[in-house]
Amino acid sequence: MTGRCLYEKDLRPLKYNILTSTKHDATVRAIANRLGVSDAKLRRLLIQRLDMSLLENIETRWEMGLRYADDGDPLAKELGCELFSRFIPLLDQERMKEIYEETRALAQEIPFEGAIVRGKALIREAILS
Amino acid sequence: MKKTVDVSIPLGPMHPCWKEPVRLKCETAGERVLHTEVELGYMKKGIERIMRGRPWQEVMFLAERVCGICSVVHNMVFIEAMELISDIAVPPRAAYLRVVANELDRVASHILANFSYCYTIEHETLAMYLLNTRERVLDNLERLTGSRINTAYMIPGGVRFDLLPEDAATMLADLAKVEEELKRYVQIFESGPLIGLRSRGIGYMSREDAIRAHTVGPTARASGVEDCDLRLRHPTYRALGFEQVTRTEGDNFARVMLRFQEVFQSIDLIRKCVDTLPAGHIRGGGLCRAGEVSYSGEAPRGELTYTIKTDDFGRVLDIAIRTPSIMNIEACAHYMVVNATSIADVTSTFISSDPCIACNER
Repeated sequence: MTGRCLYEKDLRPLKYNILTSTKHDATVRAIANRLGVSDAKLRRLLIQRLDMSLLENIETRWEMGLRYADDGDPLAKELGCELFSRFIPLLDQERMKEIYEETRALAQEIPFEGAIVRGKALIREAILS
Repeated sequence: MKKTVDVSIPLGPMHPCWKEPVRLKCETAGERVLHTEVELGYMKKGIERIMRGRPWQEVMFLAERVCGICSVVHNMVFIEAMELISDIAVPPRAAYLRVVANELDRVASHILANFSYCYTIEHETLAMYLLNTRERVLDNLERLTGSRINTAYMIPGGVRFDLLPEDAATMLADLAKVEEELKRYVQIFESGPLIGLRSRGIGYMSREDAIRAHTVGPTARASGVEDCDLRLRHPTYRALGFEQVTRTEGDNFARVMLRFQEVFQSIDLIRKCVDTLPAGHIRGGGLCRAGEVSYSGEAPRGELTYTIKTDDFGRVLDIAIRTPSIMNIEACAHYMVVNATSIADVTSTFISSDPCIACNER
């Protein structure tokens, strides 16, 4: 982002300020906890991938995601398929669909909980890559 | 054959159509907008941090300075949150007067939003007509509260000034004129062929997208989101028989028309309040105490939430303000503007969502 054009600003400090306000900080910690990554690492990812308006709105998107995402599909709900691809766009939808299919296939062979743990690990890996 | 070039077009931070500085970075393929990013930070006030540690008497004045356009509702939500923490009752007359002030503010805000839209699509005549009408509304806000913008009208347990019978009569006469003028302007807007070309089917946002981004206020209601007006849950509005206005088109035209419809609804509410204004005191009194609450009210742009923590002396220990523009601007940049067939529609679509950067950056 920096050094591309004269008028391009480095937005990282501003984005960091948004994410460390009272309610945003609580939301980031909740997302990090759900994904199983450290707060600092998630904050860095969010700053890199999302624009300022999305960061400002992350708290409400998280709330709406918990309420409405993946309704009616327990596997998708546990993995957070829509939650992490449409509500909080950390992964693109194609990759998330691949992970979902992989986990569903796995759930036929091993217990549901084990498949969820494996699926979550795949999501974490994909987000951090 | 015409060559299509992918370019990044920055709009703002200083743009003739923007009321406040913000930058939209549009990635385009020819004229089609593929992706938009919002760059904020040109007017960050840090008002939440300034509020921390101060007594409510100071925070009350700071709250309405978050936004100059909807200052009354910031005052109202903060004060009602303090009343909730401290269990302070409001006399019925004061509750009705609060609705009058809030609805006058909403009318002024909606007319300003529609002025901005008409100005952006270069219908300057209608824009100036609307701005002229807004003056009459602000005059009445001044008549009631003593100030046009930062009114500080509401205090814990009541309001600061009563509405005198002669002022009430002038207000009703003025509102009748505003209503009459607006009917003509709505007709101009509805039937204008060029306005239709720039507004109908442009900046579409589906109901699902509106829910996903938690879009609020007229922006959500124009996309068919039901039961999203917090006035439905406010005791005074419920007593007045308030009903939500909803449209289903989800485009720029629907957003502007819905605001016009809400202006007429607000004028009716003010009339009802003035006609049935209960007798009695305008101040009940009470002491602000320690507690923690998250309270929401319906601002002109949508749901406004104050999360407040106070100590025994009514000092604000912690505060977080969630303004409606946070949600609406994000939804506009990521749903309404994306896939716009012309870069010229980006400005009008952005303005149709009534963005308030002062609220967003608070």
